[in-house]
Amino acid sequence: MTSGRMELVCPAGTPATLRAAVQAGADAVYCGFRDETNARNFPGLNFSGEELAEGVRFAHDHGSKVLVAINTFARVNDVDLWKKAADTAAECGANAIIAADIAVLDHVAKNHKQVRLHLSVQAAAATPEAIGFYATSFGIRRVVLPRVLSIQEIAALNRAIEVETEAFVFGGLCVMIEGRCYLSSYATGKSPNLNGVCSPPEMVSYDDEPNSTAARLSGFTIDRYEPGEPVGYPTLCKGKFKAGGKTSYLFEDPVSLNAGGMIAGLKAAGVTALKIEGRQRGKGYVTEVVRAFRKAVDAVEQGGDAIEIDRILAGQSEGSRQTAGAYSKKWR
Amino acid sequence: MVTGNTEPRLPAVVRYLFPAFAGLPLGPLLTLSLRSLAGRQPRLFDRLGEHRTACYFIDPIDLAFAFTVVPDAERSIVRVVGKSEAATSSVQIRGPILTLLSLLDGTLDGDALFFSRIISISGRTAAVLALRNTIEDAELRPADLLGLRGALARLVDTGILGALDVARQMADRNSRSKAPEA
Repeated sequence: MTSGRMELVCPAGTPATLRAAVQAGADAVYCGFRDETNARNFPGLNFSGEELAEGVRFAHDHGSKVLVAINTFARVNDVDLWKKAADTAAECGANAIIAADIAVLDHVAKNHKQVRLHLSVQAAAATPEAIGFYATSFGIRRVVLPRVLSIQEIAALNRAIEVETEAFVFGGLCVMIEGRCYLSSYATGKSPNLNGVCSPPEMVSYDDEPNSTAARLSGFTIDRYEPGEPVGYPTLCKGKFKAGGKTSYLFEDPVSLNAGGMIAGLKAAGVTALKIEGRQRGKGYVTEVVRAFRKAVDAVEQGGDAIEIDRILAGQSEGSRQTAGAYSKKWR
Repeated sequence: MVTGNTEPRLPAVVRYLFPAFAGLPLGPLLTLSLRSLAGRQPRLFDRLGEHRTACYFIDPIDLAFAFTVVPDAERSIVRVVGKSEAATSSVQIRGPILTLLSLLDGTLDGDALFFSRIISISGRTAAVLALRNTIEDAELRPADLLGLRGALARLVDTGILGALDVARQMADRNSRSKAPEA
C-alpha cells in the first residue's frame, strides 16, 4: 500500500496545456516531442527541444515534475531518432522518461542514470515476472499499468513487485493489450505502436449525408451518427459494424474511462500515481479535468470521497459516455 | 450539420442588421492583423506545418457571412465570403460565432464542443487538428491580433473580453428562452 500522497499525472500536448495543467494542480505532466517517438504524434501537437526546456523550467518553478513519453517502438536500423529524443529530454531536465522499447530503455539506463525510467503502458507489463524483468534489466522505477486489470489484481500485483505503479483514471480506452494493437495498421498502414498515431487524422473524414454524419477512416465507414447524436473519433476498435446480420459496436463501445469514484480503492491497492489520458485534448479539457481530479484526490487523501467527479466530468468524455473499465470487472 | 439548441447564439435580427456586405471590411483588417501577428510571433505558425497553406472555411452560423482563412504566416489571407463558398475550401468549421470566438482564447474545449456537436467540421481532419492545436498553444488575446502592448493592450483585452462575456450572457438568455421545455 502506498504510504505517501498519490501523484496526479496530467497530459500536456502543447506548452500552453503544460502551463494549464500545472496551474490546475498537476503534480506531474507528461508530454512528447513533435515526431514519431511518442504515441500522440498528431499535427500541431507536442514539443520542440526548446519548448520542452521552457516547459520543464516552468513546471519546476511551480513544484511540478515533467515526464517525457518516448514510448513508441523504434524502427529497424533507425534507433537514433529515439536515442536522440531521450538525450534531449535528459538535457532539458526531465524528471523521467516513459519508454517501452527495450533499446530506448537500455539507452537511458546506460547513459542517463539521473533520469527516472517509467515503463510505458505500451509495454503491456501486467505480471510480477514481466515487471521484474524490466526492473532488474533497466532499473525502471515505475510501471504504467495496462487498462485490463481489476483493483483486486492491481493490489495483488503491488504486493509482488518492488516498483511504483501508475494507473489511468480518466480518458480514452484501448480495448486491446496496449502496444500490440494492429487494427489501425490494417486500415491505414500506420499504427500507434510504431508511428504514434491511431487513426491518423489525414485519413479521417466526417461526411455530412442526408439525415446522418458518417465518420470514415481511410474510406471505411466506422460509424454513422443521427442528427444531434454525440460523435466520436473514428477508431476501428470503437466502430459500429455489421456481423451475423446485426449492427453493433463489435469490439468496444465508444466510452471513456472515468475511475474518479475509485481513487480510494486505487490508493488502498497501493497505486502511487493516477494518470489522466488526453494529450490530444485542449486547455479547457485539461484545466477542468485536472481541477476536478485535484479536488477528488485531495478529498480522498483527507479521508473523504470523490463521487461528485462523475457529474463534473460527464461532458468531457468522448461520446459523452463513461465507464469504470476493467477496474470493476463485474463478469468475474 | 447540427448544433446544440441551447448554445448561446446571436439573435436572428443580427443577420438582418449585418448583411453579408457589412462584413466585407473585416477581410483586409483580419488579413493585416494575421500578417502582423506572424511578424511578431513567427514560431506560432510553425505548428501548422504543411497545413499553413490550407484554406479554412469558417462559418459562424448566426451571421450572414462566413470567412475563408489561409493562415500562411506573413502571406496569410482572410476573406469574407458567402455561405456557398464552402465547397472550394479544404476544411469547413461551423458553429455559433460566440462559441468560435471562445475557441480562440481557449475558454472552451474544441473537442468537447465537437463530440457534443455544438460545432461541426468537415474536410481535411488533419488540417483542422493542426489549426486547433496551433490556436490552443497561441493563447491569443484581442490585443495580440491588434498588435497592442502594455497598458493599452490590457485595457483593450479587458474591454473586448468583457463585451464578449456580456454578449454571451445575453445570447445565452435569448437561446434558453427559445429552447423547448424538457
